[in-house]
Amino acid sequence: MKRGIFLPLVTVLGFVFLYAPILSLIVFSFNESRLVTVWGGFSTRWYGQLFRDPQILNAAWISLRVAVVSASIAVVLGTLVAFVLMRFGRFRSRALLTGMATAPLVMPEVITGLSLLLLFVSMEQLLGWPAGRGETTIIIAHITFCLAYVAVVVQSRLAGMDQSVEEAAMDLGARPVRVFFDITLPIIAPALVAGWLLAFTLSLDDLVIASFVTGPGASTLPMVIFSKVRLGVSPDVNALATIIIGIVALGVGIAMWQMRRAIRRDRE
Amino acid sequence: MSQPQPSLAPKPWLSSEATPFVRIQKVTKKFGDFTAVDDVSLDIYRGELFCLLGGSGCGKSTLLRMLAGFETPTEGRIIIDGQDMAGIAPYDRPTNMMFQSYALFPHMTVEANVAYGLLREGVRKAEARERVAEMLRMVQLTQFARRKPHQLSGGQRQRVALARALVKQPKLLLLDEPLGALDKKLREETQYELIRIQETLGVTFIIVTHDQEEAMTLSTRIGVMNAGEIVQVGEPPEIYEFPKSRFVADFVGSVNIFPGRVVEDEPDFIRLDSPEMGGTIHVGHGVSCTLNQQMWFAIRPEKITVTRDRPDAEHNVVQGLVEEVLYMGNLTAFRIRLDSGKTIRATRANLSRQEHEPISWDERVWLHWGDTSGVVLAQ
Repeated sequence: MKRGIFLPLVTVLGFVFLYAPILSLIVFSFNESRLVTVWGGFSTRWYGQLFRDPQILNAAWISLRVAVVSASIAVVLGTLVAFVLMRFGRFRSRALLTGMATAPLVMPEVITGLSLLLLFVSMEQLLGWPAGRGETTIIIAHITFCLAYVAVVVQSRLAGMDQSVEEAAMDLGARPVRVFFDITLPIIAPALVAGWLLAFTLSLDDLVIASFVTGPGASTLPMVIFSKVRLGVSPDVNALATIIIGIVALGVGIAMWQMRRAIRRDRE
Repeated sequence: MSQPQPSLAPKPWLSSEATPFVRIQKVTKKFGDFTAVDDVSLDIYRGELFCLLGGSGCGKSTLLRMLAGFETPTEGRIIIDGQDMAGIAPYDRPTNMMFQSYALFPHMTVEANVAYGLLREGVRKAEARERVAEMLRMVQLTQFARRKPHQLSGGQRQRVALARALVKQPKLLLLDEPLGALDKKLREETQYELIRIQETLGVTFIIVTHDQEEAMTLSTRIGVMNAGEIVQVGEPPEIYEFPKSRFVADFVGSVNIFPGRVVEDEPDFIRLDSPEMGGTIHVGHGVSCTLNQQMWFAIRPEKITVTRDRPDAEHNVVQGLVEEVLYMGNLTAFRIRLDSGKTIRATRANLSRQEHEPISWDERVWLHWGDTSGVVLAQ
């Protein structure tokens, strides 16, 4: 078949559309000039300024903590959910549970955020916990939606796993808990890593839900960027965004690499 | 070809005093409305190599999984070495299983796979290493000890699975289609290997297979299963030569079956009238039946002789047209259309290397069989 110019052209245009804004952002993060749209020569001064800005450093630190803690807890809970859905056979309300576990994937963030805020407020009134809103409430909120992603990733891995391997371990004298840690966990480990990285980046990215459930003094990085941008784009935000893109790209890249490696190993 | 038969004399199933090692008593397993195993009772003796033979979905694997403890019988009891297995988890049973998929641990080396069961048992590391090395030597995998399962061929994986199941020296070894994935040559080799191992270690084997040839070669006794029931238990020659039903006759080996009505019933012979055969069939021994009863006559292809000239015999001679000739090396198989329209299969050993004018397509030939060559079946 003769290859026309049309397909390559569309492909290039598509990628330009996707990545030109990001690329220009990265380029301008190395801009010497204070004006965001005027090139004034290469410089890393905005990166330097970034690391001297206590507000940004504080927000980055909060974001990182929230992402690590919520991703870790989401992996544990999401794995449990995936296990129940995959291993307990058919039980009543299995379909309902499957649907409910994955619903947060498609739920509008505004609604998730608002409902969580209402929950936290009424819990505080009734139980006295969580006292006020801040990092803890953000972590809880992030766990709820990250859990769904982890459950989906782990579930697909469990579905592809030969269950007789677990039976073989049991047959050789391993009790169920032992089987889980010796056999199941190592086999699904790539999915757990992928799920964790996915949850980590989702948590790091989230602006809407965090804005709803946060309280005074707990601003995550996306929230700080958003408030800064509202006052006009400053070059240091470009630098910050570049760093975030780097971290997210790295996380997603490792997650995909892990999953592909696992799939390749299965095929062999 | 001499068949390797486990030396197990005297045959304990013939003696009324021997205590069975495995007793399956009236075991039924239901999955919802579906009855996978239906009221099966079976005694298996120490040192036996017992084959459960049947088509897919006949319940043989379910029965094996109940022995291993992965399924619980809906009704009935399973007793292994005098101990009732009810409520005993797989990890506490004196059995080990070799899985159809081999179920090797993909993240562990061959060595670690084989050692896993020993370490769970609390065997010390040094001793475990020794026993694993010995086991790997036996299955000839010593040089692959540090490989991962995905770096092995199918036959090697199968041997790892066998070594892993054997290293704990279980009282009872369960094998689910152990040779299914191997090519013919390797399968034959492994069959001898299994028998050798079984003889050296004295372990009791229960093997599930759908391959009747495999069952014939390996086993001390065969239990033929159909639709969740055991339809016949016996030694391989017994199953082959004295099937009790058309199902067994047809499932084990190939067979020609003709329906016939009893027209003469004497103490030392009977005669069946079979329109499909195009005449009467003479059976040279007494059969418990009544006159006019509907019976089936089953005869194996190798018991029919095919000749150009009419054989000098009084009974059991029919004529037909050669429809197909299949040269199979050691023998030649014929499909012959009888005058009644029914096709019959006959085989002939290729005794000489070059036959002068071999029987060919579209030839009219005579078929003959001895009057004790076939089996008369009531069901």
